[in-house]
Amino acid sequence: MSIRQAMLAILEQGPMYGYQLRAEFEQRTGETWPLNIGQVYTTLTRLERDGLVEVVVDEVAREVAGHGGVGEPLSSDRTHVSYRATEAGRGEVADWFATPVPRTQPPRDELAIKLAIAVTLPGVDVGSIIQRQRSATMTALQDYTRLKRSGRAATPQDSADLAWSLVLDSLVFDAEAEVRWLDHCEARLRRAAAELSSPTRSTQRDGGVAR
Amino acid sequence: MNAVLHLAAVSRIHGEGATEVHALRSVTFRAHPGELVAVMGPSGSGKSTLLTLAGGLDVPTSGSVWIEGTDLASLDNAGRARIRRTSVGYVFQDFNLIPALTAAENVALPRELDGEKGRVARRLALTALEEVGIADLADRFPDEMSGGQQQRVAIARAIVGDRRLILADEPTGALDTDTGEEILRLLRARCDAGAAGVMVTHEARHAAWADRVVFLRDGVIVDETGADEPEGLLAGEVGR
Amino acid sequence: MSRTMAGWRPALRIAWRDALRHRGRSILVLVMISLPVLAVSAAAVIIKTAEVSGTEGAERQLGAADARIRTEGRGRVVQGADPSRGEWAQVGETDYGDPVAEADVRTALGVDARLLPIATGWSRARLGDRVIDFQTTGVDLSDPLTEGLFGLEAGRAPEAAGEVVVNDAMLAKGFAVGDELEVNGSPLRIVGSGRDATVRDYPVVLGAFDDLPSDSANVREWLVEAGPVSWSQVLDVNEVGGLVTSRAVLADPPDVASMAEQMGYDTGRDELLAVVTLIIVMALIEVVLLAGPAFAVGARRQARTLALIAASGGTPAQARRVILASGVVLGLVASALGLVLGILAGWALLPLVQLFQGEWFGPFELPWLYLLAIVAFGLVSAFLASLVPAWLASRQDVVAVLAGRRGDRRPRASTPVVGLVLLGVGIAASAYGALTSDSGNGALWIAAAAVVSVLGMILVVPIVVSAVARVSGRWPLTARYAARDAARHRTRTVPAVAAVAATVAGVVALGIGNASDELKNEKTYAPQAQMGTGIVSWGPDLLPGEEAPDSAETWTRIEEAVHAAAPEVEVGTLQGPNDVYDPNGYTSTFVELPRELDGSGWGLSPYGPMITVADTVDELGLDPSIADVADAALAAGRAVVFTTTSDTEAEVTIRQETWTASGTEPESTSSDRVPARLVAWDQQELGPAPASTVLPVSMAEEVGLEVVTTSLRLTGDLDVAAETRIKEGVQGAVDGTYLYVERGYQRPDEALIILLVLGALGGVLMLGGTLTATFLALSDARPDLATLSAVGAAPRTRRRVAAAYALVIGFVGAVLGAAVGFIPGIAISRPLTSMSFVGPGGTAEGPFLAIPWLLVATIVVALPLLTAAVVGLTARSRLPLVARMD
Repeated sequence: MSIRQAMLAILEQGPMYGYQLRAEFEQRTGETWPLNIGQVYTTLTRLERDGLVEVVVDEVAREVAGHGGVGEPLSSDRTHVSYRATEAGRGEVADWFATPVPRTQPPRDELAIKLAIAVTLPGVDVGSIIQRQRSATMTALQDYTRLKRSGRAATPQDSADLAWSLVLDSLVFDAEAEVRWLDHCEARLRRAAAELSSPTRSTQRDGGVAR
Repeated sequence: MNAVLHLAAVSRIHGEGATEVHALRSVTFRAHPGELVAVMGPSGSGKSTLLTLAGGLDVPTSGSVWIEGTDLASLDNAGRARIRRTSVGYVFQDFNLIPALTAAENVALPRELDGEKGRVARRLALTALEEVGIADLADRFPDEMSGGQQQRVAIARAIVGDRRLILADEPTGALDTDTGEEILRLLRARCDAGAAGVMVTHEARHAAWADRVVFLRDGVIVDETGADEPEGLLAGEVGR
Repeated sequence: MSRTMAGWRPALRIAWRDALRHRGRSILVLVMISLPVLAVSAAAVIIKTAEVSGTEGAERQLGAADARIRTEGRGRVVQGADPSRGEWAQVGETDYGDPVAEADVRTALGVDARLLPIATGWSRARLGDRVIDFQTTGVDLSDPLTEGLFGLEAGRAPEAAGEVVVNDAMLAKGFAVGDELEVNGSPLRIVGSGRDATVRDYPVVLGAFDDLPSDSANVREWLVEAGPVSWSQVLDVNEVGGLVTSRAVLADPPDVASMAEQMGYDTGRDELLAVVTLIIVMALIEVVLLAGPAFAVGARRQARTLALIAASGGTPAQARRVILASGVVLGLVASALGLVLGILAGWALLPLVQLFQGEWFGPFELPWLYLLAIVAFGLVSAFLASLVPAWLASRQDVVAVLAGRRGDRRPRASTPVVGLVLLGVGIAASAYGALTSDSGNGALWIAAAAVVSVLGMILVVPIVVSAVARVSGRWPLTARYAARDAARHRTRTVPAVAAVAATVAGVVALGIGNASDELKNEKTYAPQAQMGTGIVSWGPDLLPGEEAPDSAETWTRIEEAVHAAAPEVEVGTLQGPNDVYDPNGYTSTFVELPRELDGSGWGLSPYGPMITVADTVDELGLDPSIADVADAALAAGRAVVFTTTSDTEAEVTIRQETWTASGTEPESTSSDRVPARLVAWDQQELGPAPASTVLPVSMAEEVGLEVVTTSLRLTGDLDVAAETRIKEGVQGAVDGTYLYVERGYQRPDEALIILLVLGALGGVLMLGGTLTATFLALSDARPDLATLSAVGAAPRTRRRVAAAYALVIGFVGAVLGAAVGFIPGIAISRPLTSMSFVGPGGTAEGPFLAIPWLLVATIVVALPLLTAAVVGLTARSRLPLVARMD
């Protein structure tokens, strides 16, 4: 689970509050994957349970809150509790960086599923689905590119900016891959259509068949 | 705003009879000042034909091509050549620099062909080279430059003398990703400064640099993406 | 062997495909190589066919006889296989009074040898006003031995004494079958006409031996029937003084060289070999240079193929082989093509060439050995032309080429140094040749030096081309492009420039030699009349026994003819002693200076008659200062004698000698001493004198001279048209008249034609070299031109680029070539003009040197401009489109 390891990795830099951790994460990833604060604390709690992080109560917090129990996750006091990676946690982060991201389980891709269904159903214009999707993806791609060439990704000031621009690149390449996959689907469909009609009309140009 | 380039119902048929190929079928297309338009499409979709027609290197079978208000059909070969020298700048995939001429001389070429004095043409060339950031390579020959540097020279040649229409044919095709993006940035900057750009490419990532992407299929424009504001998950960044 | 072939097979296959794929370039090479092969093989066929040698010639000489024997006197001779071609010499004393007799021949050839006497000679006969010269053959044509000597075509063969047959040339002179002609006083009737076996364009008369005897009493000749005559029998006949043309010996000739030594001849083989070698080397250089650029371009186009061969493990030698193979393939095809076309052309041209030849050609002949050598020449030239590109291609940087960059290695710095050294050697050898030209081998040295200089120049061309590119920075765009592109593609440019330069060097060298020779001719020119005047002279053609026509009456007719033809021309009459040659007997008159002055009177050769008779020198057209002195002397009754230095009065002797037709001593002589005025005549200043002596009329009468008109002096407007009219007029009126108009030195038409041919040849070769390189450059420059078009070049830019390219190649080549041409040109002018000349025009000191600046300027400036214009106008003006793989 990547959020867990990513939070653990950020915590390696030093103790942080939950809100602080969320901000650090989003600055690096450009709010591409927004986290809600509840999610952050749930994760922190699990990490604590597994012995990968430990609670650090700073002076100011202690004075205001007196003592804080570990077993009270949703107490308002928790917001003033900061966390720090334990030795085991640091080991987990090292393992995470050292291990490639597995591709054993393809992510569920709505577009692929949609096309797979559409191709099997008569009366559905797959070509226009592809073209509409391509335009949409292209528009997104243009947006990513505009972000890339303006704003902080265009002229990175610190490592967080660089991280953001790399995340943008990842989005760009994903979108590009999608466009290319769509191009490929279109070409395959046209060829298939041409092959279906070829026994009777072998001279027909494939351009006319797709539409 | 008036379009710098306007293709009105342009068709182009190569060959005739059995070998007849419809490269373009009644395509209408505009490129406005300050706009970079990408033309995408698979092989044989008519991308390159569109570009050669737009630059007056070829003439349409029917329809008309207007550049800055001039109908190319009203011009002879020499007149179209003059338009290419003064209004249109070409950038090619394989740079197409003349190996016998230095960088500055390659850039000065359109001006010199236009009859400009050598010294004036050179000064303009140096300005253009400065704009693409390689003024210090002015006296090198193409052989002595890297691919990216050569493409910068080619872009300098396309923009020298304040030409308002830049036609680019896979300008990043022979370059690596980073260098390619530098080139796209230059093209983009030129368009942001008021020129109209038309770029033929088959890579979505490069087409995304454009304000508008036009999809060509079998000589017909099948779709076009507009330039809307970024939306959705990116709102936060844009808002900042 | 098979392993070698296996190594070549892929290379040959690639070369063959490449040749088919690039037709234009292949055709270029084919033309460059097959044209010289065509020309030379056609020439070889014609020359070998025209040459009548060995048994072929024997048929014509021998008729049906086994041998033909000729003698001029008794005494040992040596001979070659075919003495009728001059291969013989006398050894020791020859007794002309006692020539070889039939008995001597029979001793050598056997008693039963049959000898048929035959005689050849010259004779003349009158036909109306004219006297016709012809060759005679006296032999019994009815004898079977003579079969083949004459082919009867009209009329019949002579059957009795007094009957003759003639050849077609005789008929062309105006005789006809049935006519009678008088030879040596006896009438002969023409009964038939036909074809003489050897002589074609000269009149020949054949008749009985007694009617047409030999010119000289000591010459005897026989046709022999004695079975095959062996070489040892020939030597036996040689021993007594007979020359034998034997059919058997001709069919199987003995060793010629040993005989030549015996005869004391210089076979001249070494020198001939050297000259032929030089010519072949020069031709080879020119062809190689002309074809070189095409191979260079081919090698450049195949750079990637070669790099791939290298990348997949090929050695440089294998890479080289691909280019060399294209040389082999194209060389073979071109040579074969040139050979076939050459043989056809030779065959087709034979009848035309025969028109200009006096001798009948032999049967059509293919000299296979020569033709083989010519084919080898074509093959070798193609191979050599591909050698340098192949070598350069095998040295290319494989990685750079595969990465799409140019992989040329930098040229070696030593190459131009070697070139300069060769040029220095060339200059030194030329100088040596020029200085030692008197001893004979000078011309050879100079020619060899020319080859060395040209080779040196070729090695210098690359730096010159680079230098031109370097200074081109400020030139107009197209010129700058052309210069830089030329320097970038040196393998293509250098041979083209060198071809142009070699051509120009040759033309300039020959031009300088020719101009210097002309200058010598002009300086040593001897005028034959006063400048601008004309002289009409008359000498009747008389046969023995004929009376000379009346002189006074004839001159009146001539004068009338001149007046009729050109009324505006003034006619003066020059008179003198009657010295007209008459075969029956004539008088000659001359003036002798006193012994003590002898040296000062001679060396003055007048252009006119030696002695003129007149009371005034008006008709001689003298300088007034001299005319006054002369007139005064004539008025005083003195003879006027022009001398080189003496200017005094003295007594001179007028001597007359009268000769008869056959006498060896004058029949009578007379001499008279008369007073004379010697007048110094400065030849350097005044030119030649019109006469050496002028006698007053009274004195001529006194000494008993028969004074007649000797010539007419024409003055006034004597342009070429008037000259032609007068010439036709007087020649039509009186046979044997002759008009000469002095116009100073006139360059002979031949010299002008030589210059024109030189110029034309040079122009064609120059155009060829320039066109080759230019169009190859244009096809190479396609992508560049497309780029030019894309950035807005007007269509005519392509023409401008083409013209600029032609200009760069033509101009650089011409300047280099002209510079190099001066070396052998100046050197060769020395042996041509180094002798000193003493003539009527004075003494002229050699050697002369004239630089034909007009020719040089034409070649260096005008021809490149013209070529550039031609190229510019013929180049297509359409610019190519940028082609992108889509």
